Amino acid sequence: MHHAYIDKFAYQDSIIHRLDSRVKFLATLVFTVMVLSLSRTSVSILTCCAVGPFTVLVLAKIPLRFAFKQVLLVSPFVLILALSCPLYDKTPLVVAFGPFVLRTSVGWMRCFAILGKFAVTMLALIALVSTTRFGDLLTGLGRLGVPNLLLIQLGLLYRYIFVLIDRAGRILRARAGRKLRNLGLKPELKIAAAMVGSLLIRSIETAEHINIAMQGRGFDGNWHSLSESRIHHRDVWFGFIAVSFILLLYFFVRPILQ
Amino acid sequence: MAKAIEIKNFSYKYPDGTIALSDITLSVEHGQKVALIGPNGAGKSTLLLAMGGFLKGTGKVLINGLEVTKKTLKQIRTMVGSCLEDPDDQLFMPNLFEDVAFGPLNMGLEAEQVKSRVADALKTVGLTDMADKAPHHLSAGQKRAAAIATILSMRPEIITLDEPDGGLDPRNRNNLITLLAGLPQTLIIATCDMNFAAAVAERAILLDNGRIIADSHSRKIMWDSQLMAEHGLEVPSK
Repeated sequence: MHHAYIDKFAYQDSIIHRLDSRVKFLATLVFTVMVLSLSRTSVSILTCCAVGPFTVLVLAKIPLRFAFKQVLLVSPFVLILALSCPLYDKTPLVVAFGPFVLRTSVGWMRCFAILGKFAVTMLALIALVSTTRFGDLLTGLGRLGVPNLLLIQLGLLYRYIFVLIDRAGRILRARAGRKLRNLGLKPELKIAAAMVGSLLIRSIETAEHINIAMQGRGFDGNWHSLSESRIHHRDVWFGFIAVSFILLLYFFVRPILQ
Repeated sequence: MAKAIEIKNFSYKYPDGTIALSDITLSVEHGQKVALIGPNGAGKSTLLLAMGGFLKGTGKVLINGLEVTKKTLKQIRTMVGSCLEDPDDQLFMPNLFEDVAFGPLNMGLEAEQVKSRVADALKTVGLTDMADKAPHHLSAGQKRAAAIATILSMRPEIITLDEPDGGLDPRNRNNLITLLAGLPQTLIIATCDMNFAAAVAERAILLDNGRIIADSHSRKIMWDSQLMAEHGLEVPSK
């Protein structure tokens, strides 16, 4: 089965792809923290913030359509949270866009700010995973001091999430092939529970087999890596540009637009 | 010189009380290619796990004269490479290079040695160009070959393979036969496919209900139509 892999563009080659994973990760992290620390009603500055991830996506030759699709895919969760804001905060607010004046409420501004922050930080995250192979990202995280155990968990999660999706897909197809009418809520729930149970049991079996495969190859709980990633001039330049962009936004653009 | 594998009166019961292997005694010479044949549930996979030191039963399992115990497990696992039935279980690292390097790194080898072993293993299975690929980007045949490469990089003297031909199309199956036939290691291959077994192994051990029913040359066992039929198997077609 073919999936829409989250890192399907990570195997391309571009100036961004060639950057060290640590630099990209730290830049994304600092950028995300900066965006999240902006005022809860500040919307206009988010447009300026979006320039960063957009530039990275364009330089890395990642189709913007793909990036937007990924943002939309996970947006329902945030949408529910954002749309609840206008309901509980109806304090009137006047917003001016140059000559245009708009009367709205704090709740709506919060709603747009949440959606904007989500879209901008998600674009930054997509830019990171679309330009960095997952293995390199794990190695980079290891070098940054992330505990071994967490890296193993992340590595196995990334590897087996696709196997699990495949299995779930096969079970759903098997059900669809034999389900010729609507059975009603209770029987449907019973079937769904059986399907989840079967998936769980097979996952446990898989975990046992992986354990055998790891033990068979001498695994003793320590994760060894051969990666020799080094910081090059281009990484220093990227880091410098990223930090300058973030500082510019936070200390110069934010006071003007907020 | 000690035999590659020697199993003496080995029995194993599953936790629910089902007898999986009963009083198994056999020995395998160095470099021999042996097919473990038998119907589903005969105990083939369990016997392979016992050879790799993954099960604790009664009786003895010796690898190169060294008894499989808790103390010798590390040595045993450098001598026996176990290739599981589902390559997705075998390939657990984010990319193929790291997967093939996993064993040699755990053996404590130097970086240059590891790289050389990975390159050799990938070349042997014909996946040199795939080193950077994630396992979920490989086809079924490539996954199978990659799983074998993860074992070859450890350079074990004995390789056990559980249903290695499962789910392969004829071309990939033939590639696998050519690959296995060319390996110098002692091979123990569990399979239900008699054509595959006949093409790879010179010796066959027929298992059923956890017992050894027959142990002889492949031709002698696999072309015995009555014996094959009695144990739910087929005579090879060629």
